[in-house]
Amino acid sequence: MTGRRAGLVALALGLIAAALLHGRIAAPPIYDGIIVPPEPYRWESPPPNLAAGNKPPLSGETTLPVQNGQVAGGGVQTDDNQVVIYFGPGAFKAPAGATGVTCSIVPDPNPPPAPSGAEIRGNVYRVGCVGVPGGGPVTVVSTYHLTMRFPPGAFKEIQYNDGSGWRPLRTLTAPGGDPYASVNAPGFGEYAATAPTGAPGPSVLSDLGRYLEFYGILAFVILFGAIAIFQEVRRRRHRAPAPRDKNPRSKNPRSKKR
Amino acid sequence: MIQVRLAAPRRAARVTGLILGAALLRALLLPVGDLFSTMVFAGCLLAITWVERDAPTLPSPASGGGKLPGAPAASGGGKLPGAPAASRGGTLPGALGRGRAIVVGLMAGAILLAPVVSGPVSGRPISEFLPWAAIAAIVATLEETSIRGVLYRRWAGEAGTLAAIVIGAAVFALIHLPRYGLGAMPLDAAVGLALGGLRALTGRVLPCAVAHTVADWGAWFWA
Repeated sequence: MTGRRAGLVALALGLIAAALLHGRIAAPPIYDGIIVPPEPYRWESPPPNLAAGNKPPLSGETTLPVQNGQVAGGGVQTDDNQVVIYFGPGAFKAPAGATGVTCSIVPDPNPPPAPSGAEIRGNVYRVGCVGVPGGGPVTVVSTYHLTMRFPPGAFKEIQYNDGSGWRPLRTLTAPGGDPYASVNAPGFGEYAATAPTGAPGPSVLSDLGRYLEFYGILAFVILFGAIAIFQEVRRRRHRAPAPRDKNPRSKNPRSKKR
Repeated sequence: MIQVRLAAPRRAARVTGLILGAALLRALLLPVGDLFSTMVFAGCLLAITWVERDAPTLPSPASGGGKLPGAPAASGGGKLPGAPAASRGGTLPGALGRGRAIVVGLMAGAILLAPVVSGPVSGRPISEFLPWAAIAAIVATLEETSIRGVLYRRWAGEAGTLAAIVIGAAVFALIHLPRYGLGAMPLDAAVGLALGGLRALTGRVLPCAVAHTVADWGAWFWA
Protein backbone atom coordinates (compact mmCIF):
# COMPACT_ATOMS: atom_id res chain seq x y z
CA MET A 1 0.00 0.00 0.00
CA THR A 2 1.49 3.36 -0.95
CA GLY A 3 1.88 6.12 1.58
CA ARG A 4 -0.83 8.23 -0.02
CA ARG A 5 -3.34 5.38 -0.09
CA ALA A 6 -2.53 4.40 3.49
CA GLY A 7 -3.01 8.02 4.55
CA LEU A 8 -6.32 8.34 2.77
CA VAL A 9 -7.66 5.08 4.23
CA ALA A 10 -6.48 6.00 7.73
CA LEU A 11 -8.01 9.48 7.51
CA ALA A 12 -11.36 8.16 6.30
CA LEU A 13 -11.46 5.30 8.82
CA GLY A 14 -10.40 7.56 11.66
CA LEU A 15 -13.00 10.25 10.94
CA ILE A 16 -15.82 7.73 10.51
CA ALA A 17 -14.86 5.87 13.69
CA ALA A 18 -14.56 9.15 15.62
CA ALA A 19 -18.02 10.25 14.45
CA LEU A 20 -19.53 6.88 15.42
CA LEU A 21 -17.82 6.86 18.82
CA HIS A 22 -18.87 10.39 19.66
CA GLY A 23 -22.27 9.29 20.87
CA ARG A 24 -20.70 7.43 23.78
CA ILE A 25 -18.61 10.29 25.11
CA ALA A 26 -20.28 13.64 25.69
CA ALA A 27 -17.22 15.73 24.97
CA PRO A 28 -15.13 16.85 22.05
CA PRO A 29 -12.63 14.24 20.99
CA ILE A 30 -9.20 15.11 22.26
CA TYR A 31 -9.22 17.91 24.73
CA ASP A 32 -5.74 18.41 26.13
CA GLY A 33 -3.98 21.32 27.65
CA ILE A 34 -5.25 21.77 31.12
CA ILE A 35 -8.56 20.55 32.42
CA VAL A 36 -11.35 22.70 31.07
CA PRO A 37 -12.40 25.00 33.91
CA PRO A 38 -15.90 24.36 35.19
CA GLU A 39 -18.78 26.52 34.06
CA PRO A 40 -19.65 29.43 36.37
CA TYR A 41 -21.48 28.33 39.51
CA ARG A 42 -25.25 28.18 39.01
CA TRP A 43 -26.99 30.02 41.81
CA GLU A 44 -30.51 29.46 43.04
CA SER A 45 -30.39 32.97 44.56
CA PRO A 46 -27.39 34.73 43.03
CA PRO A 47 -25.63 37.69 44.67
CA PRO A 48 -26.65 40.93 42.95
CA ASN A 49 -23.34 41.27 41.08
CA LEU A 50 -23.70 37.77 39.55
CA ALA A 51 -27.41 37.87 38.80
CA ALA A 52 -27.00 39.06 35.22
CA GLY A 53 -25.16 36.05 33.79
CA ASN A 54 -26.52 33.46 36.19
CA LYS A 55 -28.11 30.26 34.95
CA PRO A 56 -30.48 28.43 37.31
CA PRO A 57 -29.15 25.27 38.96
CA LEU A 58 -30.37 21.93 37.63
CA SER A 59 -31.68 18.88 39.43
CA GLY A 60 -30.89 15.22 38.83
CA GLU A 61 -32.90 12.02 39.10
CA THR A 62 -32.42 8.35 38.39
CA THR A 63 -34.32 5.12 39.03
CA LEU A 64 -32.41 2.09 40.26
CA PRO A 65 -33.51 -1.55 40.52
CA VAL A 66 -34.20 -3.33 43.81
CA GLN A 67 -32.75 -6.78 44.46
CA ASN A 68 -33.87 -8.72 47.55
CA GLY A 69 -35.24 -5.56 49.13
CA GLN A 70 -31.98 -3.69 48.70
CA VAL A 71 -31.10 -1.05 46.18
CA ALA A 72 -28.35 -1.95 43.76
CA GLY A 73 -25.38 0.41 43.89
CA GLY A 74 -25.33 3.42 41.66
CA GLY A 75 -25.19 7.16 41.55
CA VAL A 76 -27.13 10.31 40.82
CA GLN A 77 -25.90 13.69 39.74
CA THR A 78 -27.47 16.99 38.90
CA ASP A 79 -27.45 17.83 35.20
CA ASP A 80 -25.04 20.71 35.86
CA ASN A 81 -22.69 18.41 37.86
CA GLN A 82 -22.89 20.60 40.95
CA VAL A 83 -23.86 17.69 43.21
CA VAL A 84 -23.08 14.00 42.81
CA ILE A 85 -23.97 11.10 45.10
CA TYR A 86 -23.00 7.47 44.77
CA PHE A 87 -23.47 4.45 46.94
CA GLY A 88 -22.69 0.75 47.10
CA PRO A 89 -25.17 -2.15 46.96
CA GLY A 90 -27.19 -2.39 50.15
CA ALA A 91 -26.60 1.19 51.27
CA PHE A 92 -30.33 1.89 50.83
CA LYS A 93 -33.21 -0.39 51.83
CA ALA A 94 -36.31 -0.23 49.66
CA PRO A 95 -39.88 -0.34 51.06
CA ALA A 96 -41.77 -3.61 50.81
CA GLY A 97 -43.18 -4.27 47.36
CA ALA A 98 -40.95 -1.80 45.58
CA THR A 99 -39.27 -2.98 42.42
CA GLY A 100 -37.09 0.09 42.17
CA VAL A 101 -36.23 3.36 43.84
CA THR A 102 -36.12 6.83 42.36
CA CYS A 103 -33.37 9.01 43.80
CA SER A 104 -33.26 12.74 43.21
CA ILE A 105 -31.14 15.77 44.01
CA VAL A 106 -33.07 19.04 43.83
CA PRO A 107 -31.93 22.60 44.58
CA ASP A 108 -34.12 24.00 47.34
CA PRO A 109 -35.55 27.44 46.51
CA ASN A 110 -36.72 27.93 50.12
CA PRO A 111 -34.03 26.43 52.35
CA PRO A 112 -34.13 26.47 56.14
CA PRO A 113 -32.27 29.35 57.86
CA ALA A 114 -28.50 29.12 57.97
CA PRO A 115 -26.88 27.43 60.98
CA SER A 116 -25.85 29.75 63.78
CA GLY A 117 -22.37 31.22 63.34
CA ALA A 118 -22.21 30.16 59.73
CA GLU A 119 -23.47 31.27 56.38
CA ILE A 120 -24.61 29.08 53.52
CA ARG A 121 -22.33 29.31 50.53
CA GLY A 122 -24.17 28.56 47.33
CA ASN A 123 -27.26 26.43 47.00
CA VAL A 124 -29.00 24.09 49.41
CA TYR A 125 -29.80 20.72 47.84
CA ARG A 126 -32.42 18.23 48.93
CA VAL A 127 -31.36 14.60 48.47
CA GLY A 128 -33.93 11.83 48.70
CA CYS A 129 -35.12 8.48 47.39
CA VAL A 130 -38.60 6.93 47.19
CA GLY A 131 -39.71 3.43 46.28
CA VAL A 132 -41.47 2.73 43.00
CA PRO A 133 -44.26 1.96 42.64
CA GLY A 134 -46.01 3.58 45.56
CA GLY A 135 -43.55 6.26 46.66
CA GLY A 136 -42.80 4.57 49.98
CA PRO A 137 -39.86 5.78 52.08
CA VAL A 138 -36.38 4.41 51.46
CA THR A 139 -34.14 3.80 54.48
CA VAL A 140 -30.46 4.67 54.56
CA VAL A 141 -28.61 1.65 55.95
CA SER A 142 -25.07 2.97 55.63
CA THR A 143 -23.52 6.28 54.61
CA TYR A 144 -23.21 7.22 50.99
CA HIS A 145 -20.78 9.49 49.20
CA LEU A 146 -21.80 13.05 48.38
CA THR A 147 -19.70 15.56 46.45
CA MET A 148 -20.84 19.13 46.21
CA ARG A 149 -19.52 22.14 44.34
CA PHE A 150 -19.22 25.41 46.22
CA PRO A 151 -18.96 28.89 44.70
CA PRO A 152 -15.75 30.96 44.75
CA GLY A 153 -15.06 32.52 48.13
CA ALA A 154 -14.90 31.28 51.70
CA PHE A 155 -15.69 27.64 52.49
CA LYS A 156 -15.28 25.49 55.56
CA GLU A 157 -17.52 22.43 55.49
CA ILE A 158 -20.69 20.78 54.24
CA GLN A 159 -23.58 20.71 56.70
CA TYR A 160 -26.55 18.36 56.79
CA ASN A 161 -30.09 19.05 57.88
CA ASP A 162 -32.53 16.14 58.27
CA GLY A 163 -35.26 18.42 59.55
CA SER A 164 -33.95 18.70 63.08
CA GLY A 165 -31.33 21.37 62.42
CA TRP A 166 -28.00 21.76 60.71
CA ARG A 167 -24.98 19.72 61.73
CA PRO A 168 -21.49 19.84 60.27
CA LEU A 169 -20.00 16.82 58.56
CA ARG A 170 -16.37 15.85 58.23
CA THR A 171 -15.54 17.37 54.88
CA LEU A 172 -12.78 16.58 52.44
CA THR A 173 -11.54 19.17 49.96
CA ALA A 174 -8.95 18.86 47.24
CA PRO A 175 -5.96 21.22 47.11
CA GLY A 176 -5.25 23.62 44.28
CA GLY A 177 -8.48 25.58 44.29
CA ASP A 178 -10.70 22.62 43.38
CA PRO A 179 -14.26 23.89 43.97
CA TYR A 180 -15.63 20.52 45.11
CA ALA A 181 -15.96 19.06 48.60
CA SER A 182 -17.00 15.57 49.68
CA VAL A 183 -18.63 13.99 52.71
CA ASN A 184 -19.94 10.64 53.85
CA ALA A 185 -23.61 11.52 53.88
CA PRO A 186 -25.53 10.00 56.80
CA GLY A 187 -29.07 10.27 55.44
CA PHE A 188 -31.60 11.93 53.21
CA GLY A 189 -32.32 15.59 53.73
CA GLU A 190 -30.70 18.90 52.88
CA TYR A 191 -27.05 19.58 52.28
CA ALA A 192 -25.27 22.91 52.00
CA ALA A 193 -21.75 24.26 51.72
CA THR A 194 -21.04 26.61 54.62
CA ALA A 195 -18.42 29.03 55.93
CA PRO A 196 -18.11 30.89 59.24
CA THR A 197 -20.04 34.14 59.17
CA GLY A 198 -17.90 36.95 57.77
CA ALA A 199 -15.03 34.63 56.80
CA PRO A 200 -12.84 36.20 54.15
CA GLY A 201 -12.43 34.49 50.79
CA PRO A 202 -9.08 33.50 49.33
CA SER A 203 -6.41 36.12 50.07
CA VAL A 204 -4.96 38.36 47.39
CA LEU A 205 -1.64 36.56 47.88
CA SER A 206 -3.08 33.12 47.16
CA ASP A 207 -4.81 34.48 44.04
CA LEU A 208 -1.56 36.15 43.00
CA GLY A 209 0.31 32.87 43.55
CA ARG A 210 -2.08 31.01 41.27
CA TYR A 211 -1.73 33.65 38.56
CA LEU A 212 2.05 33.62 38.90
CA GLU A 213 2.14 29.84 38.56
CA PHE A 214 -0.16 29.90 35.54
CA TYR A 215 1.39 32.75 33.60
CA GLY A 216 4.94 32.05 34.80
CA ILE A 217 4.91 28.53 33.43
CA LEU A 218 3.17 29.70 30.26
CA ALA A 219 5.83 32.39 29.77
CA PHE A 220 8.57 29.82 30.37
CA VAL A 221 7.17 27.46 27.72
CA ILE A 222 6.71 30.28 25.19
CA LEU A 223 10.23 31.60 25.86
CA PHE A 224 11.76 28.13 25.57
CA GLY A 225 9.80 27.51 22.37
CA ALA A 226 10.88 30.85 20.88
CA ILE A 227 14.55 30.11 21.64
CA ALA A 228 14.18 26.63 20.09
CA ILE A 229 12.58 28.06 16.93
CA PHE A 230 15.25 30.78 16.68
CA GLN A 231 18.06 28.24 17.00
CA GLU A 232 16.41 25.92 14.48
CA VAL A 233 16.10 28.71 11.93
CA ARG A 234 19.74 29.70 12.46
CA ARG A 235 20.85 26.07 12.12
CA ARG A 236 18.98 25.68 8.84
CA ARG A 237 20.48 28.88 7.50
CA HIS A 238 23.96 27.60 8.27
CA ARG A 239 23.17 24.29 6.60
CA ALA A 240 21.70 25.79 3.45
CA PRO A 241 24.00 25.38 0.37
CA ALA A 242 25.83 28.50 -0.84
CA PRO A 243 24.16 30.14 -3.86
CA ARG A 244 25.82 29.37 -7.16
CA ASP A 245 27.59 32.29 -8.79
CA LYS A 246 26.53 32.66 -12.40
CA ASN A 247 29.36 35.06 -13.21
CA PRO A 248 32.32 32.99 -14.49
CA ARG A 249 34.72 35.87 -13.83
CA SER A 250 33.77 36.02 -10.21
CA LYS A 251 36.60 35.84 -7.70
CA ASN A 252 34.57 33.61 -5.41
CA PRO A 253 36.79 30.63 -4.59
CA ARG A 254 33.78 28.26 -4.78
CA SER A 255 33.09 29.25 -8.37
CA LYS A 256 36.76 28.74 -9.16
CA LYS A 257 36.56 25.16 -7.99
CA ARG A 258 33.78 24.49 -10.42
CA MET B 1 19.23 -9.16 6.21
CA ILE B 2 17.23 -10.62 9.06
CA GLN B 3 19.51 -8.95 11.58
CA VAL B 4 19.02 -5.58 9.92
CA ARG B 5 15.22 -5.91 10.00
CA LEU B 6 15.22 -6.94 13.64
CA ALA B 7 17.40 -4.02 14.58
CA ALA B 8 15.53 -1.56 12.41
CA PRO B 9 12.84 -0.17 14.74
CA ARG B 10 15.25 0.43 17.61
CA ARG B 11 15.39 4.21 17.29
CA ALA B 12 11.69 4.42 16.54
CA ALA B 13 11.00 2.31 19.62
CA ARG B 14 13.19 4.64 21.66
CA VAL B 15 11.16 7.68 20.59
CA THR B 16 7.95 5.75 21.32
CA GLY B 17 9.25 4.93 24.80
CA LEU B 18 10.24 8.52 25.44
CA ILE B 19 6.78 9.86 24.52
CA LEU B 20 5.00 7.22 26.60
CA GLY B 21 7.41 7.97 29.45
CA ALA B 22 6.50 11.65 29.27
CA ALA B 23 2.81 10.72 29.52
CA LEU B 24 3.55 8.44 32.48
CA LEU B 25 5.44 11.24 34.21
CA ARG B 26 2.48 13.53 33.67
CA ALA B 27 0.16 10.96 35.22
CA LEU B 28 2.45 10.58 38.25
CA LEU B 29 2.62 14.35 38.71
CA LEU B 30 -1.15 14.88 38.45
CA PRO B 31 -1.61 14.92 42.26
CA VAL B 32 0.81 17.87 42.44
CA GLY B 33 -1.39 19.91 40.15
CA ASP B 34 -2.94 19.64 36.72
CA LEU B 35 -1.23 22.72 35.36
CA PHE B 36 2.19 21.72 36.66
CA SER B 37 1.97 18.15 35.32
CA THR B 38 0.75 19.44 31.96
CA MET B 39 3.66 21.85 31.70
CA VAL B 40 6.19 19.14 32.59
CA PHE B 41 4.59 16.96 29.91
CA ALA B 42 4.81 19.81 27.39
CA GLY B 43 8.45 20.38 28.33
CA CYS B 44 9.24 16.69 27.79
CA LEU B 45 7.55 16.71 24.36
CA LEU B 46 9.45 19.86 23.43
CA ALA B 47 12.71 18.21 24.48
CA ILE B 48 11.91 15.05 22.49
CA THR B 49 11.04 17.10 19.41
CA TRP B 50 14.21 19.14 19.85
CA VAL B 51 16.57 16.20 20.42
CA GLU B 52 15.06 14.18 17.56
CA ARG B 53 14.72 17.10 15.15
CA ASP B 54 17.22 15.52 12.73
CA ALA B 55 15.10 12.39 12.31
CA PRO B 56 14.90 11.48 8.63
CA THR B 57 11.88 12.82 6.80
CA LEU B 58 10.12 10.75 4.21
CA PRO B 59 9.24 12.24 0.87
CA SER B 60 5.59 13.28 0.85
CA PRO B 61 3.21 10.73 -0.66
CA ALA B 62 1.91 13.65 -2.65
CA SER B 63 5.22 13.61 -4.46
CA GLY B 64 4.94 9.91 -5.16
CA GLY B 65 7.12 8.76 -2.27
CA GLY B 66 6.13 7.07 0.90
CA LYS B 67 8.89 4.70 1.84
CA LEU B 68 12.54 5.24 1.35
CA PRO B 69 14.24 2.46 -0.55
CA GLY B 70 17.18 2.42 1.79
CA ALA B 71 15.15 2.59 4.97
CA PRO B 72 16.46 -0.49 6.82
CA ALA B 73 20.00 0.72 6.42
CA ALA B 74 19.15 3.78 8.46
CA SER B 75 18.46 1.83 11.59
CA GLY B 76 21.78 2.57 13.13
CA GLY B 77 21.85 6.30 12.73
CA GLY B 78 19.66 9.34 12.84
CA LYS B 79 19.96 10.23 9.17
CA LEU B 80 19.20 8.16 6.13
CA PRO B 81 22.28 7.78 4.01
CA GLY B 82 20.29 7.51 0.86
CA ALA B 83 17.89 10.30 1.60
CA PRO B 84 18.15 13.55 -0.29
CA ALA B 85 19.35 16.55 1.69
CA ALA B 86 15.96 18.25 1.41
CA SER B 87 14.30 15.39 3.23
CA ARG B 88 16.23 15.85 6.49
CA GLY B 89 13.84 18.05 8.33
CA GLY B 90 11.96 21.08 7.13
CA THR B 91 9.22 21.27 4.54
CA LEU B 92 9.26 18.62 1.89
CA PRO B 93 9.21 19.38 -1.80
CA GLY B 94 5.87 17.60 -2.35
CA ALA B 95 4.19 18.74 0.86
CA LEU B 96 1.26 21.16 0.97
CA GLY B 97 2.01 24.86 1.22
CA ARG B 98 1.53 26.52 4.62
CA GLY B 99 -1.73 28.24 3.68
CA ARG B 100 -3.29 25.11 2.26
CA ALA B 101 -2.05 23.08 5.20
CA ILE B 102 -3.81 25.45 7.62
CA VAL B 103 -7.04 25.27 5.61
CA VAL B 104 -6.89 21.47 5.51
CA GLY B 105 -6.22 21.42 9.27
CA LEU B 106 -9.18 23.73 9.94
CA MET B 107 -11.44 21.52 7.85
CA ALA B 108 -10.30 18.35 9.63
CA GLY B 109 -10.79 20.06 13.01
CA ALA B 110 -14.30 21.13 11.99
CA ILE B 111 -15.14 17.55 10.97
CA LEU B 112 -13.88 16.26 14.32
CA LEU B 113 -16.05 18.79 16.14
CA ALA B 114 -19.13 18.33 13.96
CA PRO B 115 -20.83 15.67 16.12
CA VAL B 116 -20.77 17.86 19.24
CA VAL B 117 -21.57 21.34 17.98
CA SER B 118 -25.28 20.59 17.94
CA GLY B 119 -25.19 20.12 21.73
CA PRO B 120 -25.78 22.85 24.32
CA VAL B 121 -23.16 25.59 24.50
CA SER B 122 -21.43 25.88 27.86
CA GLY B 123 -21.59 29.07 29.89
CA ARG B 124 -17.81 29.45 30.29
CA PRO B 125 -16.83 33.10 29.99
CA ILE B 126 -15.06 33.98 26.75
CA SER B 127 -12.76 36.35 28.68
CA GLU B 128 -11.06 33.37 30.31
CA PHE B 129 -10.77 31.45 27.08
CA LEU B 130 -7.54 33.02 25.79
CA PRO B 131 -5.00 31.80 28.40
CA TRP B 132 -6.58 28.34 28.42
CA ALA B 133 -6.62 28.26 24.62
CA ALA B 134 -2.95 29.25 24.49
CA ILE B 135 -1.93 26.35 26.72
CA ALA B 136 -4.21 23.94 24.85
CA ALA B 137 -2.68 25.04 21.54
CA ILE B 138 0.87 24.64 22.85
CA VAL B 139 0.24 21.16 24.22
CA ALA B 140 -1.68 20.04 21.12
CA THR B 141 1.06 21.34 18.82
CA LEU B 142 3.79 19.67 20.88
CA GLU B 143 1.87 16.38 20.83
CA GLU B 144 1.70 16.65 17.06
CA THR B 145 5.35 17.63 16.55
CA SER B 146 6.39 14.66 18.66
CA ILE B 147 3.87 12.03 17.49
CA ARG B 148 3.09 13.06 13.90
CA GLY B 149 6.55 14.64 13.67
CA VAL B 150 9.50 12.69 15.03
CA LEU B 151 7.68 9.47 15.94
CA TYR B 152 6.01 9.31 12.53
CA ARG B 153 9.28 9.98 10.71
CA ARG B 154 11.18 7.36 12.67
CA TRP B 155 8.58 4.63 12.18
CA ALA B 156 7.92 5.56 8.57
CA GLY B 157 11.64 5.44 7.82
CA GLU B 158 12.17 2.16 9.60
CA ALA B 159 8.94 0.22 9.12
CA GLY B 160 6.81 2.07 6.56
CA THR B 161 4.02 4.63 6.46
CA LEU B 162 1.27 2.26 7.59
CA ALA B 163 3.22 1.29 10.71
CA ALA B 164 3.88 4.97 11.42
CA ILE B 165 0.16 5.80 11.23
CA VAL B 166 -1.00 2.85 13.33
CA ILE B 167 1.69 3.16 16.00
CA GLY B 168 1.13 6.92 16.15
CA ALA B 169 -2.60 6.32 16.76
CA ALA B 170 -1.85 3.77 19.48
CA VAL B 171 0.60 6.11 21.22
CA PHE B 172 -1.89 8.96 20.92
CA ALA B 173 -4.57 6.86 22.63
CA LEU B 174 -2.16 5.67 25.32
CA ILE B 175 -0.91 9.12 26.31
CA HIS B 176 -4.50 10.21 26.92
CA LEU B 177 -5.28 7.16 29.03
CA PRO B 178 -4.27 8.60 32.44
CA ARG B 179 -6.39 11.71 31.95
CA TYR B 180 -9.54 10.36 30.37
CA GLY B 181 -9.55 6.65 31.22
CA LEU B 182 -10.20 3.53 29.17
CA GLY B 183 -13.57 4.79 27.98
CA ALA B 184 -11.99 7.51 25.87
CA MET B 185 -9.31 5.27 24.33
CA PRO B 186 -11.23 4.07 21.24
CA LEU B 187 -12.20 7.64 20.38
CA ASP B 188 -8.65 8.90 20.87
CA ALA B 189 -7.29 6.00 18.78
CA ALA B 190 -9.75 6.88 15.99
CA VAL B 191 -8.74 10.54 16.10
CA GLY B 192 -5.07 9.49 16.16
CA LEU B 193 -5.68 7.37 13.06
CA ALA B 194 -7.30 10.32 11.28
CA LEU B 195 -4.45 12.67 12.22
CA GLY B 196 -1.87 10.09 11.12
CA GLY B 197 -3.68 9.79 7.81
CA LEU B 198 -3.70 13.56 7.49
CA ARG B 199 0.05 13.60 8.11
CA ALA B 200 0.66 10.94 5.47
CA LEU B 201 -1.58 12.65 2.93
CA THR B 202 -0.27 16.17 3.33
CA GLY B 203 3.34 15.45 4.21
CA ARG B 204 3.20 18.05 6.98
CA VAL B 205 2.62 18.22 10.72
CA LEU B 206 0.97 21.65 10.51
CA PRO B 207 -2.53 20.47 9.44
CA CYS B 208 -2.49 17.88 12.23
CA ALA B 209 -1.55 20.54 14.79
CA VAL B 210 -4.28 22.88 13.52
CA ALA B 211 -6.95 20.14 13.52
CA HIS B 212 -5.91 18.97 16.99
CA THR B 213 -5.96 22.52 18.38
CA VAL B 214 -9.37 23.29 16.88
CA ALA B 215 -10.80 20.08 18.32
CA ASP B 216 -9.32 20.92 21.73
CA TRP B 217 -10.73 24.42 21.69
CA GLY B 218 -14.17 22.98 21.10
CA ALA B 219 -14.06 21.57 24.63
CA TRP B 220 -14.42 25.10 25.99
CA PHE B 221 -17.73 25.59 24.22
CA TRP B 222 -19.27 22.13 24.09
CA ALA B 223 -17.80 20.01 26.90
